Amino acid sequence: MKINIDGLLVYFPYDYIYPEQYLYMVELKKSIDAQGHCVVEMPSGTGKTISLLALIVAYLQQNPLDVTKLIYCTRTILEVDKVVEELKNLMNYYEKETGVYPNVLSLALSSRKNLCIHPQLQGMREGKVIDGRCYGMTASFVREKHKYDPNVPVCDFYEEFDAQGKDIPIPSGIYSLDDLKTFGAEKGWCPYFLARHSINHAQIIIYSYYYLLDPKIAQAVSKELSKNSVVVFDEAHNIDNQCIETMSVKINKRTIEKSENSIEALQTSLERIRTEDSSRLQNEYERLVEGLRDANMSRETDVVLANPVLPDEILQEAVPGNIRNGEHFVRFLKRFLEYIKTRLRISHVVSESPASFLKDCKQKVCIERKPLRFCAERLASLMRTLEFSDVSDFSSLTLIAHFATLVSTYTTGFNLIIEPFDDRTPTIPNPVLHFVCLDASIAIKPVFERFQTVVITSGTLSPLDMYPKILDFRPVNMASFTMTLARQCICPMIVSRGNDQVAISSKFESREDIAVIRNYGNLLVELSASVPDGVVAFFTSYVYMESVIASWYEQGIIDNIQKNKLLFIETQDAMETSLALVNYQKACDNGRGAVLLSVARGKVSEGIDFDHHYGRCVVMFGVPYVYTQSRILKARLEYMRDHYNIRENDFLTFDAMRHAAQCVGRALRGKTDYGIMIFADKRFSRMDKRGKLPKWIQEHLKDGVLNLSTDEAVQLSKHFLRQMAQPFKQEDQLGLSLLTLEQLQSEDMQKKIEEKAQHAEYDLT
Amino acid sequence: MEEQSCPRCGTNKYRNPNMKFLVNVCGHSICDNCVEVLFVRGSAACPACKIPLRRTNFRIQFFEDSSVEKEMDIRKKILRDYNKQEEDFPTLRAYNDYLEDIETTIFNLANGVDVEETKKKIEQYKKENKDTIRKNQSKLSRDEELIEALIEEERELQESHRNDMKQEETKEKTRKIQNKEALIDELMFSEAPANYILASHKAEVARQREDEEEEAPSLPKARTTMFSSGIRVGQQRGDTFPSTVPIEAALYIYSPLSIQYCGPDVPDTPAMLQNGYLNHMREASQADRGGGYEAKVGCSRAVQEALCGLFYTYQEPESQAQESSSSSSPSSSHMEMEIS
Repeated sequence: MKINIDGLLVYFPYDYIYPEQYLYMVELKKSIDAQGHCVVEMPSGTGKTISLLALIVAYLQQNPLDVTKLIYCTRTILEVDKVVEELKNLMNYYEKETGVYPNVLSLALSSRKNLCIHPQLQGMREGKVIDGRCYGMTASFVREKHKYDPNVPVCDFYEEFDAQGKDIPIPSGIYSLDDLKTFGAEKGWCPYFLARHSINHAQIIIYSYYYLLDPKIAQAVSKELSKNSVVVFDEAHNIDNQCIETMSVKINKRTIEKSENSIEALQTSLERIRTEDSSRLQNEYERLVEGLRDANMSRETDVVLANPVLPDEILQEAVPGNIRNGEHFVRFLKRFLEYIKTRLRISHVVSESPASFLKDCKQKVCIERKPLRFCAERLASLMRTLEFSDVSDFSSLTLIAHFATLVSTYTTGFNLIIEPFDDRTPTIPNPVLHFVCLDASIAIKPVFERFQTVVITSGTLSPLDMYPKILDFRPVNMASFTMTLARQCICPMIVSRGNDQVAISSKFESREDIAVIRNYGNLLVELSASVPDGVVAFFTSYVYMESVIASWYEQGIIDNIQKNKLLFIETQDAMETSLALVNYQKACDNGRGAVLLSVARGKVSEGIDFDHHYGRCVVMFGVPYVYTQSRILKARLEYMRDHYNIRENDFLTFDAMRHAAQCVGRALRGKTDYGIMIFADKRFSRMDKRGKLPKWIQEHLKDGVLNLSTDEAVQLSKHFLRQMAQPFKQEDQLGLSLLTLEQLQSEDMQKKIEEKAQHAEYDLT
Repeated sequence: MEEQSCPRCGTNKYRNPNMKFLVNVCGHSICDNCVEVLFVRGSAACPACKIPLRRTNFRIQFFEDSSVEKEMDIRKKILRDYNKQEEDFPTLRAYNDYLEDIETTIFNLANGVDVEETKKKIEQYKKENKDTIRKNQSKLSRDEELIEALIEEERELQESHRNDMKQEETKEKTRKIQNKEALIDELMFSEAPANYILASHKAEVARQREDEEEEAPSLPKARTTMFSSGIRVGQQRGDTFPSTVPIEAALYIYSPLSIQYCGPDVPDTPAMLQNGYLNHMREASQADRGGGYEAKVGCSRAVQEALCGLFYTYQEPESQAQESSSSSSPSSSHMEMEIS
């Protein structure tokens, strides 16, 4: 259908539209018009992706001067494929309506691991190895050598692409990762470099968060994207953690050992080249004297180690004299490494700021701040000069160099924590140096500054005002939409006590209490008896899950569950988990029914959908707080309190609740779906917890379901399931939660929508 | 780290957890027991390189890699003398060259390349730059200053935070005691039923807590880091004041102006008043005085003009004087005429 949204004609590839989709597009349009950032929450399963795409593509088509690009960031390859699928769907609709296929180039981009079509590298699994091998075949000096000595292997696909593909723009269309591969195979071009090259003139780019957030990658890939782009972060409820992750460094003994070896390798090859071909070193030296920028003027394939966020004015400057010479630099690295080693040789935990680290470094090994800042860049240059064809061995040393650059560049927002041993095994010395980013806004700041509109969206972003705070930006628009439902298809309940009236809670004092564990078990047994098909239960941590399952086993609860359903367990091993998942789905498919025990924040809770019969009931055992004794977390909480005025408890609760919401949200993936959501902890009924759940769950949490015992909950769920089991046709939804164009345009619907829009608008003052 | 063992006796940390590694100037490490044994007399040769060593020069090994240990030793010594800052150089390039020079020196010393020559060079440098070295000894580089300031700031922030916590705690404690007392007082003196009082008290406490929670903790006050003039506190040598280069020249001495009139002396102001020079001058009007004019000014000027050049005698210059004399003589005669 064609909809007019605030003066913009949007082609929507379906015959029906949800009212919230319409609202979503209206809000989005407002933000793009205002050229500002926005935070929008809409429950999963209501067609966020297509609404986003439909509106922004329409905007691109009709206002090509205001918005030139759409950058769609997702978390996983699977999601990339989903988005591409939707986009193709949309384009086909355009063709059907207007008669011409729109002249749009859309690209998906991923790592070499997913795009390489070189026959020798295809079977490999590890991304790092493929990157290294690819570099070994495409680096400019290797290709140079190949000219004189045909025995030096180069990548034919890259050669072909370099010879022909660069001048001819890739024909417009929608390319998924597989499409790129087939196109590349057809032409004999390297799909990876084709995609990287074409990114600059593509209208729509779909890739992973890291291409924008990680400064090392962003520099290489996303540097030249224009300002008037719309950036969308989908499923962004965890974006702050991702930001922090990209800027943090962890150094342990293994890293040190490996870097030592790398330094040795550097030294020997330096000596070799000094005797064989000293002019090359001389050339590098000369370049470095002039300034770093020229040193960076190399081929695109050489950029494997870019600099983490050095301000440009520094890059213009020349490399400090004391690391200009290759030998001196190697000695410099060695000294720095020795220094880190001495720092790791401790018996108690140390937490210090970058400033005091630098001071100590100056005192102990006479290394000043300035050469440290240039460390990463200098290492990259040296490795280029020495022409190492396999850089994957040097990843540890690169890490150390990045650490050096980061620690000397950022004096606030970071902290160094050195732990002599793991807290779980205090007798085994295993020192680890964590250089942790405490401020999520550092990584994402360039994104907000560079692009005119950044959309942060997910199914669970409540409370919305938290995100602008922790990411430090000013949104022009914040909105949260609920699901309009023709029938009440979610049934959230808070179970606070067992049948024996003992309060159930996963709080530290009572979590090992045998009565609590028994009550959790009974709840699951009774649910497995009354709920058909799949039941998913989430625990707060792996450790807790293990101890609970062990005592369930002793109490015979496991046997009782297995009388009703099959039992599957998520473990920390990814392979094992995916096997369990496959069998779980099989058991649900053939009607046997199954129970899956998994962990909040685990793989299952983040990426796997339990739609329809795969998840009729989700149970959240306890409030999924993070491990609060972690020093890294403590440092971050302290930082947020001091700088953003966010109290420790507020953030912890916010974090726990977004994960709880994420877990229970797995069950509902559409309007025809239905599911029971059980929060099994006394503490959920408190207002400060409940109030942080997304609106679309909150509005169904009536007072009657806030303080239930196990049998009451089972009673309610039976009633709910019976209701849901009634036939549900599309006609029932029409006009209420599903609209045709006429219905959308009818007057009272517009009025209703207006009302809702006002309700959804967040108070920005 | 644990694998390191003493080259002489072969003990390692695992067998003797108390052992310490010591190093001397040559950079070879040896365990403290062996030092005890070998250096009973106070000096002996290094077991690895046979260099004679003194016992007093042994110190605990800090770095695991003895070459780094040795290099650091040299480096610290060198940097004590080579302590110029970026500001001491006209260009960044020169500073960088200087840095590289240091690096080469240390590298040479540490690896035994051209040791004698390098040492000579250092001596020379020391001699040449004696003043700068002494001057820079107590100076911090700009980065170090920044780091110091940051550490200071952090410390203060921590302190203020600790104080806040303490205050809050005491506040909480006193409030609790007050509440308790109020409740007991009320129970003692009030006529209302006890459970009613208890309930109202509970509500009151809850309300108080809510109020407490509502007032958000104030952000730590930013420390005053600047004077009102924009100069940073605690920074001796900020970015605002680039070091000035002194210009060496002789001082200026004032000497009164001497004018050659080529005539009789002009009477000075008191003489002019005494001798009635002003008698024939027009009095200065109000407007004149406003402009700074006085009668004596006009008078003295006229007298000056009259007397100027009276003793002038024409001296014939060597060449081309002929032409100028003819032009100058009429004017001088004209002047004389006027005076007469």
